[in-house]
Amino acid sequence: MDLALQLFFTGLGIGAVYALVALGFVLIFRATNVVNFAQGEFSMVGAYLMVVFAVDLKWPYGWAFLAALACMALLGAVFNLGVYYPLRNRTFLPVIIATIGASIFLSNAVLALYGPQPQVLQGWFETPGLQIGPVYLDSQYLLIMVVTLALVAFNFWFFERTMLGKKLQATSQDKEMASLLGIPVSAMIMLTFVYSAMLGGVAGILVAPILFVSIQMGSTIALKAFAATIIGGFGDVKGAIIGGLALGVIETFGAAYISVPYKDGFAFLVLVAFLIFRPQGIFGERVAEKA
Amino acid sequence: MTISRRKFSGSLSGAVTASLAFPGLVGKTWAQGATIKIGMCAPVTGPAAESGRYAQIGAKLAIDAVNKAGGVLGKQVELIVEDDQTTNPGIVLAFSKLASQTDIVGFLGSIRSTQVHAMAPDVMKIGKPVMIGGTDPALTHMGNQWLFRFRPNDSYSGSVIAEYGVKTLGKKKWAIVHSTDAFGTAGGKALTAGLAKHEGTTIALDQGYANQSQDFTPVVLAIKQSGADILGSYFTFENDLGVFARQLRQLGVTIPYIGSPSIVNITALKLAGPALYGTYGVADYAEDSSPASKAFGKAYRDVAKIAPDNQSSWTYDAITVLCMAINKAGKTDPTAVREAILSIRKHAGAEGEYNFDANGDGLHGYNIVKNDKGNVVFDKHVESTS
Repeated sequence: MDLALQLFFTGLGIGAVYALVALGFVLIFRATNVVNFAQGEFSMVGAYLMVVFAVDLKWPYGWAFLAALACMALLGAVFNLGVYYPLRNRTFLPVIIATIGASIFLSNAVLALYGPQPQVLQGWFETPGLQIGPVYLDSQYLLIMVVTLALVAFNFWFFERTMLGKKLQATSQDKEMASLLGIPVSAMIMLTFVYSAMLGGVAGILVAPILFVSIQMGSTIALKAFAATIIGGFGDVKGAIIGGLALGVIETFGAAYISVPYKDGFAFLVLVAFLIFRPQGIFGERVAEKA
Repeated sequence: MTISRRKFSGSLSGAVTASLAFPGLVGKTWAQGATIKIGMCAPVTGPAAESGRYAQIGAKLAIDAVNKAGGVLGKQVELIVEDDQTTNPGIVLAFSKLASQTDIVGFLGSIRSTQVHAMAPDVMKIGKPVMIGGTDPALTHMGNQWLFRFRPNDSYSGSVIAEYGVKTLGKKKWAIVHSTDAFGTAGGKALTAGLAKHEGTTIALDQGYANQSQDFTPVVLAIKQSGADILGSYFTFENDLGVFARQLRQLGVTIPYIGSPSIVNITALKLAGPALYGTYGVADYAEDSSPASKAFGKAYRDVAKIAPDNQSSWTYDAITVLCMAINKAGKTDPTAVREAILSIRKHAGAEGEYNFDANGDGLHGYNIVKNDKGNVVFDKHVESTS
C-alpha cells in the first residue's frame, strides 16, 4: 500500500507536467486546427530563460519567472507571425511541417546560444520535500500539481466567464462566423499563441529542477503530452488534463509492477488502444462536432 | 561551373560507396596531402553534446602536442570532426562522410558502445584503424581487427566493482541498476559475472531502465524493497544518473553505491550535486593516479577551465597513440599502423599504462575513486586479473 501511494503521487506529479504541455497543444489546436509540434520546445526555451535570469543574472526567482514569461509571450507572438500567419490560408499540413521546422530551429538556436551543457535550476523551495508517513512528497511535484490545478481553474473561468475567452472560443469553433460577428480573428489567434507559449514556458520552468535544463527536455515531455491530448480527446481542455495525469500514473505503475525498461511503452500502448477503440479520446473531439 | 544538388549528392554517395566497397583502391591515396588527417565522430548535438565538447578538447590537446613535437612523418596533423548526433544512424552517417575522404588515415569512434556497434560493419569495410572508447567487451572480441580500445572494458570494471564492494566494503547483497542499451546491458552482465567469483554474494535486484527516463521512482522503490546492502550501476547518460541519484536520496536509500565511470563524470557531478556525495566509482581517468594523468589534467584545465574526466582523456590518448603508431610504422598503411598499435607496451597515457593485447584492448584495470563532497578523490588502482 505504501508503495502504491508513493507511486500514485509520483505518477500524478509527472502526469501534471504532461498535462501542462498538453494544455498548450489543445489551445492552439482549438484556435487553428493544427498541432503545434514546437510546444515542447516552448518548455525548453522557458526553462533556459529562467536559467538566464535566475542563475546567470542572479535575479530573484519571482522576477526571473515574470521576465521569462514576458519573453515567452514575445516568442509566442513572433511564432504566430513567423510560422502560422504566413501559412494560415493553406491546408493544415504545411503549417504542421512549419511547426516541426520551428521546433528544430528553436533547439538549435538554444544550442548555438547557450551550448550543449545541461544546466541545474534549483527548486523554488528550501525544503526539497515532505515525508508524510511512508510517502515522500517532492516539493517541486507538489508545486507542479498546484499550478496545474490553478491553471485548470483559470482556464475554466477565462474561457467560460469572460468575453475575451468567449471570443477565443468562437474563433476556434468557426473563424468565418467569428469574423462576421466582428471578432478580430487574427488578434485572437495571436493571443492563443502567446498564451500557449507562456503555458509551455511555465511547464518547462516548473519541471526544470527535476529533469534539469537541456536541449532535449522539451521533446521528451512533448511526446507524452501529445499522447495525453489524444487520450483525453484532441481539442478538449479537461481531456488534456485528465489524459496527462492518467498517462503519468499508468506509466509509473506499469514500470513498478510490470517492467521498468518498457515504461514509455505503456504510455504508447494506451495511446494505441485509444486510437483503435476510442479514437475520439475520453471526452470526444470537438473538431468532429464542427463538421 | 555549377554543381546541382543531385550531382553533388551523387558524387558524395559514389565516393562513400567506393571507399566502402574498394578500400584497397582508395587506400593508395593516403598521406599524399600536406597534412596527416585524422577523422573524429563526436556528439556535437544530441544528449551527449556536452561530453562531445570535452572529447574534442581532449583530442585537440593531443593534436597540438603532437604537432609541437614535430608532427607525424614530418607533417602536421589535422583533426576533422563530424557530428554523430549522439545517435546510431548519426554516427553511421558521420563515419561515412569521413570515410569518403580517402586521405584520412585513422579515426576516432564513439565512447558509446551502442554507437560503435552501429558503425562496426562500415569499419570492417573501410579497413582503417578506428580508436574507440565504448566499453562493451564484445566490441574487441567480434572479429573486427580495426577497432582499438582506449578505455578498460566492462569485464574489468565489473570485476573491479565486485572486488571493491565485497572485499573492501564488505557487502554481499547487491542491487544492480543498468541502462538497457549495449553499454548498460554488457555492464550489468559484467558485474554479475564479477560477483559470481565471490562466494556468498547474492544479487537481490538486477534492474534495467530505458535511457532518457524522466522518473526513477519505481527503480528506487525496487532497490528499497530488495533489501540490498550495496548498489552497483551502469548509467549511459549523466542526466539520467542525476535524476536517479536525487530520487535515491529523497526516497531514503543510503546504502553504499559504486558506479561505472559516468558516476564521476564532470556533468554528473554538476547535475546530481550532493546526491552523489560519498559514492564510489570505477574511473578509467583519475587525475592523481599517475604523473601522466596529472600532466594531462593540468593541460586540460588550462584550456577548458574545468576538471578533466574520461570523456577527454580517452580521446587525448587515442590521438597520441595513433600518431605514435604511424611514426613507429613509418607509413600510413593501415596494416602497418595496426601492427604498430598492437606492439605498444608500457605507454604512460592519461588513462593509465597502455599494453595492447591481440584483441585491441589497451587498458586492463580501473581506478577506484570516491566522491568526497564533490571532489573526486583517487583511492587505488586495481589491475584486473580476468
